[in-house]
Amino acid sequence: MDLSLTDDQVAILDAIDTLTRPYAGASLHEAGFALPDAQLDRDLAEGGFLDIGFDPDLGAVSAALVVERLARLPQTVEAAASALIRPLLGGDLPRPLCLVEEGRTTRPIRFLREGATVLLVGSSGVSTFTATAAQVRPEPEALYGYPMATLLTVPAERTLHAIPASEVLIRWRIALAAEAAGLLAAALDSTVAHVIDRQQFGRPLATFQALRHRLAQAQVRANGVRWLALKAAATLDPGDAALAALHAQESARATVYDFHQFFGAMGVTLEHPLHLWTYRLKALIGDLRGRGGQGLAAAAALWP
Amino acid sequence: MDFDWTDQETAFRDRLRALLADTLPDDWERFSQHGPASPALTRYAESFCGTLAEQGLLIPHWPVELGGQGLDPWHQTILAEEMWIAGEPRGGQYMNVNWIGPTLIRYGSSDQQARYLPPIAEGKALWCQGFSEPGSGSDLASLRTRAERDGDQYRVTGQKIWTSYAGLADTCFLVCRTSDDRKRGISILLVPMDTPGITVRQIPSLIGEGDIHEVFFDDVIVPVTARLGDEGQAWEIIGYSLTNERLGIPRYALARAALDRAVSILKAQDEFDGEAVKIEAAHCAALTEAARMASYAIVDRRAKGEAIGAESSSARFATVMAERRVCEFIVEYLPEALADAHPYLKMHHQRGIVAGIAAGAAEIQLNIIATDVLKLPREPR
Repeated sequence: MDLSLTDDQVAILDAIDTLTRPYAGASLHEAGFALPDAQLDRDLAEGGFLDIGFDPDLGAVSAALVVERLARLPQTVEAAASALIRPLLGGDLPRPLCLVEEGRTTRPIRFLREGATVLLVGSSGVSTFTATAAQVRPEPEALYGYPMATLLTVPAERTLHAIPASEVLIRWRIALAAEAAGLLAAALDSTVAHVIDRQQFGRPLATFQALRHRLAQAQVRANGVRWLALKAAATLDPGDAALAALHAQESARATVYDFHQFFGAMGVTLEHPLHLWTYRLKALIGDLRGRGGQGLAAAAALWP
Repeated sequence: MDFDWTDQETAFRDRLRALLADTLPDDWERFSQHGPASPALTRYAESFCGTLAEQGLLIPHWPVELGGQGLDPWHQTILAEEMWIAGEPRGGQYMNVNWIGPTLIRYGSSDQQARYLPPIAEGKALWCQGFSEPGSGSDLASLRTRAERDGDQYRVTGQKIWTSYAGLADTCFLVCRTSDDRKRGISILLVPMDTPGITVRQIPSLIGEGDIHEVFFDDVIVPVTARLGDEGQAWEIIGYSLTNERLGIPRYALARAALDRAVSILKAQDEFDGEAVKIEAAHCAALTEAARMASYAIVDRRAKGEAIGAESSSARFATVMAERRVCEFIVEYLPEALADAHPYLKMHHQRGIVAGIAAGAAEIQLNIIATDVLKLPREPR
């Protein structure tokens, strides 16, 4: 076992930090509920950062590290599905890649827009199609920190992919956990900075044990989600993937309220970026039928 | 990043499992549900540790010149996991090999090493740790057991409590006060338990027979040569010991093994069929595996010779979360386990109760994470 980043992984993450530095410091006062960034998306795509999972030498662990790192940004780009699931499908499908579970197609979908690739996965297999304007209803009022849209119809004509749905679901769960790990880390960092800075009763909020212990527990959770995501990316095992996603959704549920609570009124304004991480976590909580869905998948894999 | 075990590590684990299968008596599970400090288990541990020592499996992670094989922390972790999953047939001796021995190796005089290391390496020693006092639990630095210097000896007076293994231990790793300075006034004495003036009284406990005691020191004379390190160096030495001890017991491994056992029993009874039970079991597994990976991240650092620091408190708290949830799962879905139906699960439950208490309270771990990992300013005192 060697849990250090490889030299290649260090170089990739350094390059991402360099590329994203101007974005990380951007003014966020006009961010709104979601903060998509087409220029950042282009920069990352042109830099090949979203194609790392295609390289067998780098593989899913490196792709998961990229997803985790990008999720820490206030801006959002569709990285998780592109980096971790696109390599399964082969070819050159247009991004963004939007994941939809069969039977749940009427739910709001992250990054869905005209021209996006929609991947439908379920008992009837794995298929994709390119969304047309008529199939998509944007949801600009959605509270989630992603651009969202609703799929109005699913075309009968789709490209079938000769891969088992189970493989897509494994990688979906890993992608979810890796993204949640980055979101949890960013939300925790942001909250930590606030409670150190904010003084009440003549001392920093960070000196009150009621907050310290809950933030420490959030650190334990964020750390656990990151490790389970990376391990699942290494093994691509269905049990590992389901446990990682379950822990991610459970940890999001357990921490998001606290992060906002510790910001007080400041955290419910759109002037602060906290919601860009926490409301994305809320979107991820519902993926793949939520914690119950991951729990049943984990139980089926661990105790068949 | 590589999450696989090496062939050598896998072979090491297989060897341990084969040895356990060959060596443990047929009624081991019923027998081992009494705590690791019970007289029966302590007696058995002497013969079992002797067998381990003969096979080079008692202290394989110690340096070669001290009788070990210099195996890396991954092997130490595998050894600890397999023993704890098996119900810890080493009894209280696990402490010797995990942290008392390494602490003596680091801080002991050559006379102390010559006296105490060979019996540990042969599986013949049993230590107790004289840390907690009636007024000093989490606030260890407030301890009041006094060691007054009198020429070339100390006169020790005071009381320790909740001391594991004290009833049968031969030596006490005693933390006591040599001056009034809160932290720099604490020293460590290595005290034979048959020294006149020491009285041990057992306190019945939830962990099982023989685990918890109070120990009274009435004018106990201890030579200065029995002091470990310098006068006032105890806080540093304890810090080193606890860093080893926090990672010492891989409770996540037994919690997962108990969970797997509980699920297999439920399945055999056709009771692992509802969604609620499956989802709850999965939550338990997620917590045990999160704790395992958090712990492995620390082992990885130790294997590379890096400082393990405060992150070990994060791994420790993750383990407490896992241990509790598995205990609660078994209480909810297999209540008969805490009667007498499933000794292995009862054993897990009895040991699990102290996960957040022994070796430093869980709340202390959270304080350490807040201050040293998240870098939050301390609360005022």
